[in-house]
Amino acid sequence: MFHFTFDLLNHQKMTTKQVEQVITPAGKHFVGNGFFVHNIIPGSQGLSMERVSPFILLDYNAPHYFAPTGTPRGVGVHPHRGFETVTIAYKGRVEHHDSSGGGGVIGEGDVQWMTAASGVLHKEFHEKEWSKKGGMFQMVQLWVNLPAKDKMSKPKYQALANDQMGVYELENQAGRIEVIAGAYKTTQGPASTFTPMHLMNAHLVAGGKAEFNFPAHYNTALIVLEGKIQVNDESAVSANQFALFQNEGEAFTIEATENAIVLVLSGEPILEPIAHHGPFVMNTKQELMQAFEDFNEGKFGYLED
Amino acid sequence: MKPNTLSTFLTSNIDLKEAFLQLLFSSCQIKQVNKGDYLLQPGETCTHSFFVKKGLLRQFSLDAKGKEHVLQFAPENWFMSDRDSVFFHEPAAYYIQALENTSVYLIDEPFLTNLAHKDPQFLDFNLNLLHKHIRQLHKRVQLLLSATAEERYLDFVHMYPDLMLRVPQIQIASYLGITPESLSRVRSDLAKKNQGR
Repeated sequence: MFHFTFDLLNHQKMTTKQVEQVITPAGKHFVGNGFFVHNIIPGSQGLSMERVSPFILLDYNAPHYFAPTGTPRGVGVHPHRGFETVTIAYKGRVEHHDSSGGGGVIGEGDVQWMTAASGVLHKEFHEKEWSKKGGMFQMVQLWVNLPAKDKMSKPKYQALANDQMGVYELENQAGRIEVIAGAYKTTQGPASTFTPMHLMNAHLVAGGKAEFNFPAHYNTALIVLEGKIQVNDESAVSANQFALFQNEGEAFTIEATENAIVLVLSGEPILEPIAHHGPFVMNTKQELMQAFEDFNEGKFGYLED
Repeated sequence: MKPNTLSTFLTSNIDLKEAFLQLLFSSCQIKQVNKGDYLLQPGETCTHSFFVKKGLLRQFSLDAKGKEHVLQFAPENWFMSDRDSVFFHEPAAYYIQALENTSVYLIDEPFLTNLAHKDPQFLDFNLNLLHKHIRQLHKRVQLLLSATAEERYLDFVHMYPDLMLRVPQIQIASYLGITPESLSRVRSDLAKKNQGR
C-alpha cells in the first residue's frame, strides 16, 4: 500500500488538492428518536454514493441537547447488509447491541466500527446513565462500503476507545491528529479496514496548521465539527459545513481560524455498481431482493427490542 | 427497485398507447397526504380509489373495544379502495391512513368505467386485476382460517418484502391476526432455524 510519509523536501513533486465544493447541510431529521441528523452523503447535491465511495453515507448529529429521561432514546432493532457502520462520538454516550454478539458503549472520542457484511440486526440507544442526566449529543455516523468479495463475509465489531487512537502531535503546538484508520504521516490508526482509507480527527488550536497528503484518485472530504478553518488559504469552512475535494492533486493544508475539530476522510473508491435500498447496500437488484428475503426469514438472527 | 409510476405499472401489464396514457395522467389528480393523516374515515363516502405512487397506506377498522384490525397495506404500486364507498356509494366501513408521507393518484370510478368502455384492452386488464384481488382475498381468508402463525408471516413477507422495516410490528401482528408476542416468537424461532444459513 502507498505509504504516506510527508517529506517537505519533496514538496515540489506534489500538487495541491483543491476544494471542489463546500456544502452547508440541509434540514435535519430524526433517526429513531435519539439521533437528530443532517444527512450529508448521499443527500447533498454532488455527493452521491458513487462520488464519495467508499464513504456512501454520512449522517451528522450536530450538537443537540437531549433532556434527561428514564427511557433511553435511540433506534430500535434494524438490519444491515453489505457495508460497515462507523459511529464517531464527540459528545454523549451510545450503547450498541447486535445479533452477532457485538456490543458496547462508546463515549467522547471513541469509535464503534461495525462490519455488517453478510448481515446483522442491531440497535443503538443513548446509554442509560447518560440518558438520566441528559446533555449535549454530537456524533457522526458513516457507512463504509465493502467490495463485492467481502459483502457476504462474517460480521464483526471493533470497539475503538479514544486511548487506542494513533496520536500525532503537530509541530509548533498546532494541535494533534487522532488517527482512527489508515495513517497520518507515520502514525497509524487502530481500525482494520477492507479497502485502503484514512479517517482522522484533527484537533487544531487557533492559528494551528496541518498538512495532509492523499493519493489524487482517493475520494477526500472533511467536516468541521467545531470552530472554523481555512483550506489551502482560500476556502473557509465553518462548523457543520462539509468540504469535498477534487480528485486531482494530493496535498492540502488546513489552518484553524478558531480552535477547531475536523474529521478528515479519504479512501480509495470502490468502483463497483451500487444497489441500495433502505439498510442494504449490494451490487445488484437480485442481491437486494435476497437481502430482504434473508432478513425476513431470520437469517440475520434475532435481537430483542 | 420497482417501477414507481402509474404509467410504468400499467405498461408492464398491458400494451397501452402513448396517447391513452396521456389521457390517463391528465385525468388523475395526485394528492399528498402526511404521515398519520387519513384519506378516508368510516361514514364518509368517496368516489375514487387510490394508487400509491410513493409512500404507504393502511386500511383498518376499529372494533367496539377500540382495537384496530388491519385489512390491507398498500406500498408503492398498490391499489387501495373502500369498495362500499367507491362502488356501492355507501358510507365507508374502513379508515384509510398514510403510514408515511404519501403521494397517491386519485382514480375516479366513473373515469375507470369510461376507460373500460372505450378500450377493451383496458377492460381485460381491469377484470384481471379484480380477479387477482379476489384470489388474494380468498387466500387471506384461508390463511386466517387454517394456517399457523409462521405460515401467515412467511406469506406476508413474500408479498410485502420490505414492510417489516416500514411498519410497526403491532400493526403487522394485527394484519396477521396474531398477538405481537406471537409475531416475536415466530421471528425468533425462524432465526434459530435459519441464522447464518
